[in-house]
Amino acid sequence: MSGLRPAAAATAALVATLAIAAALLAVGGYSPGVAFTALARGAFGSWDLFVSFTLVRATPLLLTGLAVALAFRAHVWNIGAEGQLHAGALAGVAVAIFLPLAHPLLLLPATLLAGAAAGALWASVPAAMKTRMGVGEVITTLLMNFVALFLAQFLVQGPLREARGVFNQTDEIPAAARLPTLLPDTRLHLGFLIGIAIAVALWLYLTRTPGGFRIRAVGASVRAAEVSGRFRAEPVIWRAFLASGAIAGLAGWIQVSGITHRMYEGLSPGWGYTAIAVALLARLHPLAVVLTAIVFGALSAGGAAMQREAGVPDVWVRGIEALVILAVLAVDKGLQVLGRRGSRA
Amino acid sequence: MNRHLRWLPFVSLVLAPACGGDAPAADGPSVALLTSGPVSDAGWHAGAYEGLQLIGDSLGLHISHQQTRTPAEFDEAFISYAEAGYGLIFGHGFEYQDAASRAGEAYPDVTFAVSSGSRPSENVVPIIFGLHEASYLAGMAAGAITRSGIVGMVGGVEIPSAKGTFIAFEAGVKAMREDATVLETFIGSWDDASAAKEAAAAQLRQGADALIHNVDAASFAFFQAVREVREDGRTAWAFGMNRDQNDVAPDVIAGSAAIDIPKIFLQTARAWQDGTLEGPLFTGLAAGAVDFVPNPAQRGVIPPLALRQIEEARLLIAERKLEVPRIDFLEPAAGNPSGS
Repeated sequence: MSGLRPAAAATAALVATLAIAAALLAVGGYSPGVAFTALARGAFGSWDLFVSFTLVRATPLLLTGLAVALAFRAHVWNIGAEGQLHAGALAGVAVAIFLPLAHPLLLLPATLLAGAAAGALWASVPAAMKTRMGVGEVITTLLMNFVALFLAQFLVQGPLREARGVFNQTDEIPAAARLPTLLPDTRLHLGFLIGIAIAVALWLYLTRTPGGFRIRAVGASVRAAEVSGRFRAEPVIWRAFLASGAIAGLAGWIQVSGITHRMYEGLSPGWGYTAIAVALLARLHPLAVVLTAIVFGALSAGGAAMQREAGVPDVWVRGIEALVILAVLAVDKGLQVLGRRGSRA
Repeated sequence: MNRHLRWLPFVSLVLAPACGGDAPAADGPSVALLTSGPVSDAGWHAGAYEGLQLIGDSLGLHISHQQTRTPAEFDEAFISYAEAGYGLIFGHGFEYQDAASRAGEAYPDVTFAVSSGSRPSENVVPIIFGLHEASYLAGMAAGAITRSGIVGMVGGVEIPSAKGTFIAFEAGVKAMREDATVLETFIGSWDDASAAKEAAAAQLRQGADALIHNVDAASFAFFQAVREVREDGRTAWAFGMNRDQNDVAPDVIAGSAAIDIPKIFLQTARAWQDGTLEGPLFTGLAAGAVDFVPNPAQRGVIPPLALRQIEEARLLIAERKLEVPRIDFLEPAAGNPSGS
């Protein structure tokens, strides 16, 4: 089948989405042209904007997106990236503040390990409940998110509260615990590269190793995998849970280490949930997650510019962002269907 | 692999118009505002937005506003505005202090004004609203109208500026009614409507009949809780905070402890234009920046005698003869590390 039909369908959907968004903006009294220009410029207007804003915003989405993609590959429905992210951030901050290691070559790896371990630990509860008791992980991972959010709230108001005791946040982490900037005069930090490295590693793991094959086999069908008699599904499910939680935990600590330098309530605007869209849009392919995370990062950076330059209020921006995400997912699904028909013909 | 990337043409189509072109430089002197909540809250953020519009209308300056979602966006927003040529950028809330300090060092020619800020420097100007003075007067009114002798306070996040208004409110209550019980709840959020309503309802159940809040968008639900207890035949009054909220719920509000944020923002912008802006900026009752405003729709709720006592206290505070308890959260002035 020729590539023309999907392209035409995508273009049609794009035009339709833009038309709906433009109509909404016009109804609200905002100029669609100015708004779209601002959206695009805010995300891609210059190298600096792209690197310092879009890629910086893409980083937590990239890591959580990879966490979700890996879990979903094994049919482990981890809805808990948000909570694992908070657990990772808290553990990283605690180690950074309380561990007396002055050298970045010691402290940074220690904090990264702590973040990953805490994320994995957070995911181990739903993993145990699923493998031991058969409790569905959709509910348990989701509920663990709330536990993590309240734990974060409690800790920054109590034990981890800054020394001067004024605001509900931790002290600033020491310089040795901060991820270095990747490019001079930008805000892009090493965390983005870590994300890319994990994406490549996951891709190699899934496609080139027996462990990755098992994850894909379990994802395709747990029963078939077990009936084949070659391996048991339980350890594979455990591995998917723990690795997914560890990556999500890293996402939280990397955001603190690279950007905020403090932990506080409301660290994440829901990256762990957006990550599900990021992963699904990438069709759970680790390398494609890099691209979809950048697309979502661009949308988010562009949305902020839409407020600044076009005067579109935040609620409108959020609505339009959601509309674009829906449209992209719909187009993606449409292309899948078209592709299947094409291959049958 | 190709299969997975089929949507790429779609994405590039979205982004095609983007490439090329610099961000539009602000035309002439421009003023920007950052808020961490919606400007439709009829309170703290709304007042700031009105101030921004006043600056645009009165001084003819170009204005822009962004609502930031997470603290990670603070730096980004400051940088964006500074790069776009904005000369005065308001960060409306203590939470902007750290990011404003960083931006202040990176952009020495730009002035950053931080509402309830704590760390002044050459070009970072904390604006300290003496809201506790107005809150004290509101407390006096609450002390005068409570019959049960139980007064409630529902706060957002327990930060010094919010806590300070409650300490002053409580002192005001006690000044009128020494034996009063004062309940205090912080719900941990400025916008969580259901938590605010629950907290208010709990205090009402404990017998409170005069309640003040210090939340943002959640205040609508706070007023609703008072309205609902009225429907059960009880008498209860609410007090507005941060902005004159008397018209937000005229049926249940006895008065508001209000900051005239637009006025202060306009003064700040004028001083910035004249090159006379220096921080930190303290502004309270004496400057007419804050006040207790009885609700004109509910005349008579606050007894005339109490109104006279409140008036006396107002004069004493303005003349610095009456010290209202407060929390000082200003840090010592920072040196100029760059030495420039």
